[in-house]
Amino acid sequence: MLERNYSSTPRHSGAPSYHVVRLNGFIHTNDKIALRDIARQLLIKQDLEDILIGSFSDAFTYILNLMRTSGDKGTMPPVLFILEEFDLLAQHPKQSLLYTLFDIAQSQQTPIAVLGITARIDVMDLLEKRVKSRFSHRQIQAYNAKTLDDFVSIARVALSIHSSDQQQQQIPKAFADTFNNKVDDLLSSELVLSYISEVFDIGKDARQILRTFVAAASKISNTQPYMDIAHVKPVIAREKESAKMQILSSISLLDLCLIISMKSLVQSGNSKYNFEMVYNEYKTFMSRHMIAASGGGAMKVYKKPVALKAFETLVELEIVRPIITSAVLSETGSGASGRNDLLAGSAQGVRAPKEYRMVQLMLEPGQVLELVSQRHDIPVVIKRWAQQ
Amino acid sequence: MSTADVSTQLSEKFPGRGEQVDQLLSLLGEPTDASPGCIFVYGPSASGKTSVLQSLFSHYQAGKTRVAFVSGVECFTARLLFERTLNAWAGHVPSKDNAYSNYRKCDSLVDFVARASELLGGGEEETHYLVVDQAERLRGTSVLTSLVRLSELLGSQANVSVILVSAVVWDKFRVRHGGATDPTLVFFPRYTKAQTLDILAHDCPPGEPSGFFLTFVDALYEVFHRNSTSVQELRHLVAMLYPKFVQPVFEGQATRSEFSRLFKLCQPYFSAASERLYLREISTSEWQRVAPASAKNRAEDVAQAIYELADGSGSGIMDLPYYTKFLLVAGYLASYNPSRLDMQYFARGKDPSAKGRKRKRQADDALGGQKRQQLLGPKAFAIERLLAIFYSIVAEAMDSSVDVQVQIASLVTLRLFTRTSNGDRLDGVKCKCNVGLETIRAISRSVQFEVDRFLYDFA
Repeated sequence: MLERNYSSTPRHSGAPSYHVVRLNGFIHTNDKIALRDIARQLLIKQDLEDILIGSFSDAFTYILNLMRTSGDKGTMPPVLFILEEFDLLAQHPKQSLLYTLFDIAQSQQTPIAVLGITARIDVMDLLEKRVKSRFSHRQIQAYNAKTLDDFVSIARVALSIHSSDQQQQQIPKAFADTFNNKVDDLLSSELVLSYISEVFDIGKDARQILRTFVAAASKISNTQPYMDIAHVKPVIAREKESAKMQILSSISLLDLCLIISMKSLVQSGNSKYNFEMVYNEYKTFMSRHMIAASGGGAMKVYKKPVALKAFETLVELEIVRPIITSAVLSETGSGASGRNDLLAGSAQGVRAPKEYRMVQLMLEPGQVLELVSQRHDIPVVIKRWAQQ
Repeated sequence: MSTADVSTQLSEKFPGRGEQVDQLLSLLGEPTDASPGCIFVYGPSASGKTSVLQSLFSHYQAGKTRVAFVSGVECFTARLLFERTLNAWAGHVPSKDNAYSNYRKCDSLVDFVARASELLGGGEEETHYLVVDQAERLRGTSVLTSLVRLSELLGSQANVSVILVSAVVWDKFRVRHGGATDPTLVFFPRYTKAQTLDILAHDCPPGEPSGFFLTFVDALYEVFHRNSTSVQELRHLVAMLYPKFVQPVFEGQATRSEFSRLFKLCQPYFSAASERLYLREISTSEWQRVAPASAKNRAEDVAQAIYELADGSGSGIMDLPYYTKFLLVAGYLASYNPSRLDMQYFARGKDPSAKGRKRKRQADDALGGQKRQQLLGPKAFAIERLLAIFYSIVAEAMDSSVDVQVQIASLVTLRLFTRTSNGDRLDGVKCKCNVGLETIRAISRSVQFEVDRFLYDFA
C-alpha cells in the first residue's frame, strides 16, 4: 500500500495564482458527478443542467472557455487537477473524464496539469489505448519503508517536536529537547521496539504504529507533559489482543456450552449445522454426564427456548453466522451481507423455521480450547468435554 | 467543565465504565483538540456503549461542537444517513412549519462532503462528531467506507470525527476497498458481578433497605448468570420477582432476617416463572396479576397458575377445525418421514406399529443420530403425498375433496405450511410444515391420534 500522505506534497505550493481541482475516485463515482464538482470547485455558479446533457468533453470545454473569459486579460489561470484513487476513476465507462483531461493537457492550448495518485502498480494497464497514448508516462513510485530503521524513524519524526514547530508555536527549546529525548528513550525501549518490528514484519503499515502512538499520546496532559512508557504499554497490549476472544471472554456458561457442542459437531465431520443439531449435541452430552456423575448435578439442562435465546446472542455477536447459499446470493446480489440474524434468509427464499437454518461457527477448534482454558468459573466436566 | 470533572461525573453515573470513559475522553480531549478520524466502539449488547457516549457528548454539546447521533437501523440507505446527519449538525428538525423537509437534499457522497464542509467549516477549530449506532447494518454498502474516511475526505475544510458503535468486532468490518485505516478501537466489556450489583443498587425500590435488596440480587445473579450475562435481563427479573419476594414481610409471615425462609416461600415463583419470564412468555402486566406470594398460597397452586398463564397465549393454533388438525399432522409426517417408508406406515390393512417398529430399529443404527430429519428440519413434500397421508390417517371416510384444498390454502395463509414452489405454479405445488414437534403432539392429542407411532427416526 502506497503511503497516502504522498498526496500532501503538492499542497505546500498552494500559491493563489492557480486553481486546484481535487477529484477522488472514491467519491466521484461517475463522470457527471465529477463534472459538477469540477464546476463547483472552479467557482462557476452558472446553472449547468442544460450543458450536462451533452458529451463530457463538450461540457468540459465549455467550462474551460468560461474560465478563460472570466479570467483576467483573456488568459486563463492554470488549473492543477489532483486525481486521487486514480484506478477507480479509470474504471468509469469509456474513461471519458481521463481522456478529456489528458487530451487537453497534451494539446497545450489550456494550461492544465493532471496528477494521478493510486495504490495500484498496474494502473497503466487499466487505461484504454487512446487514453494511454495521451498520458505523459511520468511515474513516481513511492514505497513503504525498506528497513526497520526507516520504519522507526517514521515514528520518531511523527512524535518529536520539530524546530519549525518550535518557532511557530513558541515552545521553549528546553522543553522540546526533553520531550524529544523522552521520545528517543521510548523508541529504544525493548517493548516498543519489538512491537514496531512485529508491525513491520506483518504489514509495514506506518499508520498502524502511528495509531498506537496517537492513543498513547492522547494521555499527555498538563500534569504529564511527556511521552511515557507507562502510557504506551496498555495501548500496545490492547492492539495485540484479539478482539474476538475479548468479547468471548465473558459469555455465559450456556453460550459456551453451545460453542463447544458446535465444535464437537465440526470434529465429527459436519461442516454446517443448525440449532436443533447443536441442541441435540448439548442434550446428549448433558444426559451422558448426568448419568456419569449420578447426582452431582450442579448443572441444569436448559430448555430449548432458553438455549435458543442464548444461541441468538451468539448470532448477534457474529460468532455464529448463517450460511448463505450461492443460489441465494445470486438472487439478491451481495446486499445480504449487511444483515446478520437468523431471519435474514426469510425474505430470500430460504424458507425454514429459524431452528433449522444452517449456520457455521466462526471459531477454530483451537480458539475454543483457549477460551475454555481462560475461564476459571466453569465446571471441570465442561472443560473435559471441550478437550475431547 | 474540565475533562477530569466530566470523567468523575460519568464514572459515578456508569458504574464499572470508568476505564472506558477515561479512554474516550483522552481520545476526544478538549473541544478544540484534534481527535482520531474514526473511533470504533464495540462490546456486547447491554454494556452501556450508547448511553455512555450520549451523556459524554452532552457535555461537549454545550460549546460549539456539533454532534449527530444516527442509527444504522433507521438509516439503511446512504441518503437517509447523510440527510439525518446534516439535520442534526445544522440543528434542523423537520416539523410542520417547514413541511417536514430536510435541511438539504443530499443523495450522494459528493454532495454530503460539500454540504458538510459548508456547514462545519468556516475557520472554527472545534471537532464535530458523527455517532453511528448499530454500524454493522451499514456493511455491504459503500457508506461505511466513506464514513471511515470521512475526515480524510473533508481534509482541512472541517474537523470531523466519526464514531461507530457496534456489537460486532472490527475484524468483520474490514472494508473492501483499501486505503482506509483501521479506526482506534475502544472495547466495552460485559459487566462483572461486582459491577452488575453496583448497577442494580440504583434500582433498589424506595423504602427498601438496600443491603437486603442486594442480597436478593446477588442470589438471583448466581442463578441466572449461567444462561445470560445481560444486565437488562437481570434487571427485568429483579423488577418482576422482588415484589413477590418481600410480600411475606408485609403480610407478617416472615421477617427480613429470615432470608432462607423467604426464599422458600418464593420458590414456586422462581422455578416456574423464571424461564417463562426470561423468554417473555408472560408479559409484565399478566405477571403482576398473579396472586402475591404468601404462605397462604400452596406452592402447587402458584405453579399451576403460572403455567396456565404462559400456555394461554400460544393456544391460537389449537382452535383449528377437526380435519384441519389432521391435515397439519399429515403435513408434519410428510415433512419429516422419508417417502420410501410411506407404504409401511400408511398402507391400509397393515399394522403400522408391527412392521414399522422393526424397520425403525435397523434404520436407527444405519443412520446415526446427527443427521436425522428431525434435526435437519422439514423438507418439502408434494400436495399429492400430503393428501394420501391425510386420507390414510383420518379414520372415517370423507366425501368432498374441495374442502381439503381450501384448508391447505388456509394453512399456508396461517404460515403453518410454507409454499416452496413458485407462486404462479398451479400444479405440483410443494409445501413444508412449519410447526414444531411439541405443538404437533398437542394437536394430535386433541384429536386422539398417536403421532409418535408414525414418526420415523425420532428421539
